[in-house]
Amino acid sequence: MPDVKLKNVVKTFDKGRITAVDHVNLHVRDREYLTLLGPSGCGKTTTLRMIAGLELPDEGEISIGEELVSNLPPEYRDIGYVFQEYALFPHMDVWNNVTYGPRVKGWEEAKSDRIGREMLELVRLFERTDAFPSELSGGMRQRVALARALSSGSKLLLLDEPLGALDARIRTDLRYEIRKLVKDLQLTAIHVTHDQAEAMAISDRIAIMRKGKILQVGTPQELYLNPQHIFVANFVGESNFLEGYITERTNHKITVELREGISVRSVNQDHKKGEKVVVAVRPEVLSIKKGKKSGLNSIFGNIEGFRFEGTNVRYEIRLENGDLVVVVHPALMAEWLGVGEKVTVAFPVEKSFVFSYPERGLRMELALE
Amino acid sequence: MTAFSQPKGIRKLLSRLGVSATVASLVIFVFLPSFFLISFTFTQWSEVYTEVFANPLIGDTNWIEIQKYVSLSIRLAVSAVAIGLVFGIPLAYILARKNFWGKGFLEDITTFTLVIPTSGFGFATLIAWTSIFGVDSVYLIPVINVPFIMLVIHIALTFPYIVKTLKAKLEDMSTLFEQASGTLGASPLTTFRKVILPLTLPAIFSGAVLAFARSLGETGATLVVSSVYTTAPIAVIRWVSQFNFGAAAFLGSLLIIVATAIILPIEFVLQKKGVSSFSIFSTLHIEKKLLKLEDFASRKLRRMRDVVVLLFIILVVILPIIVVLNSVTLSWNSDPDTGKVTESVMYQLFGPSNYFSALLDATFVSFASASIATYIAACIAIPTVFLIKRYRFGRFLRAILRVPLIVPTSALGLSILLLWGPEGLNLANPGIWLIILTHIVFSVPVVVEPMLATFEGSDIPLYEGASRTLGATQYNTVESVSLPLLKRGILAGVILSFTRSLGETGATFLVMGSATTIPPLVVNMVESLAVPAALFASTYLIAISFVLLMLFRKVTTR
Repeated sequence: MPDVKLKNVVKTFDKGRITAVDHVNLHVRDREYLTLLGPSGCGKTTTLRMIAGLELPDEGEISIGEELVSNLPPEYRDIGYVFQEYALFPHMDVWNNVTYGPRVKGWEEAKSDRIGREMLELVRLFERTDAFPSELSGGMRQRVALARALSSGSKLLLLDEPLGALDARIRTDLRYEIRKLVKDLQLTAIHVTHDQAEAMAISDRIAIMRKGKILQVGTPQELYLNPQHIFVANFVGESNFLEGYITERTNHKITVELREGISVRSVNQDHKKGEKVVVAVRPEVLSIKKGKKSGLNSIFGNIEGFRFEGTNVRYEIRLENGDLVVVVHPALMAEWLGVGEKVTVAFPVEKSFVFSYPERGLRMELALE
Repeated sequence: MTAFSQPKGIRKLLSRLGVSATVASLVIFVFLPSFFLISFTFTQWSEVYTEVFANPLIGDTNWIEIQKYVSLSIRLAVSAVAIGLVFGIPLAYILARKNFWGKGFLEDITTFTLVIPTSGFGFATLIAWTSIFGVDSVYLIPVINVPFIMLVIHIALTFPYIVKTLKAKLEDMSTLFEQASGTLGASPLTTFRKVILPLTLPAIFSGAVLAFARSLGETGATLVVSSVYTTAPIAVIRWVSQFNFGAAAFLGSLLIIVATAIILPIEFVLQKKGVSSFSIFSTLHIEKKLLKLEDFASRKLRRMRDVVVLLFIILVVILPIIVVLNSVTLSWNSDPDTGKVTESVMYQLFGPSNYFSALLDATFVSFASASIATYIAACIAIPTVFLIKRYRFGRFLRAILRVPLIVPTSALGLSILLLWGPEGLNLANPGIWLIILTHIVFSVPVVVEPMLATFEGSDIPLYEGASRTLGATQYNTVESVSLPLLKRGILAGVILSFTRSLGETGATFLVMGSATTIPPLVVNMVESLAVPAALFASTYLIAISFVLLMLFRKVTTR
């Protein structure tokens, strides 16, 4: 059954000047929906194209199922591939596009026809078999592309930003449709996207990539609740980052002194006393109380910005030590506070993360490009 | 799936075989003939030297003549390109950006002189200007010393290259930049100078280069109107007919070297870097005045631009066609001035000189050689396009494939004659087979060019990738995806190559022996002063070209 393994895979472009994929190791399990998530240019599409055989790796091994495929041309890998730009053959109608795979594989006509009909019914486009790609809407084209990729009967589906070119609403609808299809047909799917909401909604597991490297692989919950890397904490969901030094540590807890001598407590994650660290707190775990209140991890501040976003309200709060934090609350859950209001923000110890201060500086480490 | 080693070995062998076969046929049919003349000149240097520089009878007269001929050819080409640019650039802009009644017709007219066999068109121009404006073919323009009618013809035959390349580039280019420039307050002319021109300069340059090459090698029409003047390609033909191979080879090599040396470096630089925008004006005080002038001109002179361009087209293209059609009908049964029956079209066609059967024979030779040459050229060109796109040496291959396009065809004909003909390997005597071998040389790049354009415009690598993820082999992919997508490009290339082959004069003159094609026949008619017969032949060529043009249009428009 198709699980996919990448071992130390390297791919460079421009005579080695650009390293697109840098020693990537990844195991995609059978019947798993895995998403490669990362900012543009992080090497996720190149990784996918190497799994498909559209690019060949410079180093490392790629295997599909039991077979080592590193240098096998795409036509012998038994895959389905959905392109971002659809890549429907413009000179063929929907029917001929969808049955192209079975036909070039030399399957019997009856079998090709049956598969073509099945696939088109699956994507609900059976009534448009005579249409040419140019006559279809974006969403329809992508469904045809999906049907075409599935028609080869492969159990491994590779999707390269399949929803990137679509309108927002169609994108969310089609998202669930694809996942349902993959699960119903018991496929292994590898999906490439830069949209974290899409990745969270659709995946069994997500691999976060940056600059050719995989930073963390895990279920959406794991990535959100337990980010292992400061970039992940920022890219999956949002985070506020507070810089400081560790002044005290016990086995489980540490005390961090922020700017202007404000101390907060957090969970010990193997840091040393005196180390420069960043405390990350999600905007949705910060609570707000009017006026100056004392308590654990409570910091006094002033509301500088307020935005109503529909489902949520978002505050920008300048803390007394000069740091700026963002707080997001469900819009209907509490009273809305205005700009200029003095408040105290607080967060529970166990809902904060501590990371070593990045060598390159915080801003560089979080940069998307 | 693990047992792929066997078929993989065979696949590799087959693909190697295919690549070598394509390269071999390119070398034998295209590159060898293009460069053989130069090596001939070197290997036979002592003979060439005697004939050109130290002839026992006339000394270095031939060398002095050669300088004169080459000088005239270059003056002619430069002036034709310069004037072509003046009218061609606005015309291309209008065709690419405006919509108006009769646009299709205007486009056809600009393509027309690319399609028509030049000797027929040359004769038409000669008749038109002598009969309407009384301009003699001997009339020389002062200062640049270029024969007037010859220049008009060269402009008519070369400006479409400028228009076509620029128009294609403009249509590719988003109008967004122009709109942005407009919203920022630039007048249309300023936008043209500061936005359009820098972005399209590579296209304008390559159009001008093609036009220059065409003018430098033009033979058919030039022969018809040459009278006492001799351009370099004509001199080659004359010398060959006098069996003066040494001088002809020397001049031919000179032409090949001049064309290659001027054109290839420009092409290479343009392909690699493009042209960065130039701002000589902004540092000078002229800029402000220029802006004002452009603003004024944009508002007041737009109409004038359209009128001038239209007038240009009418004078150089439409007028000759109308005059010829008119003269043919007038002198159908008798000469309109003298009333002599012997000076009528009918008499010359079916009378004792029997030009009609000569024309029929020539038509057969023309169509047969053009079809066979185009067929063979397409067979070589199609795999060549894939070589260019798939392999590292493709870029180099593409660059040297420009050479047969810019080499003057009379030099090419001489090269073929000396290589395959009785003087060389003695593979074929002058006649239809030698004509075909000659036409293949320039037909291959003519077919390759539009195919490459289609290849680049239609995302072929994407679709090939898609096809292979669906399980199609490379061979299957090419057959069912790439070739169908390239169909338009192939058809366009085939038609262009066919028309070019049909109209070719310079080379054909040298290799045809007794098998005449239509264009040399027209030249012969003019030289033997059979004007009514030449009128009919010109009309005939105009009609054929019209049909080919319609075909071309059908193929290239979606």
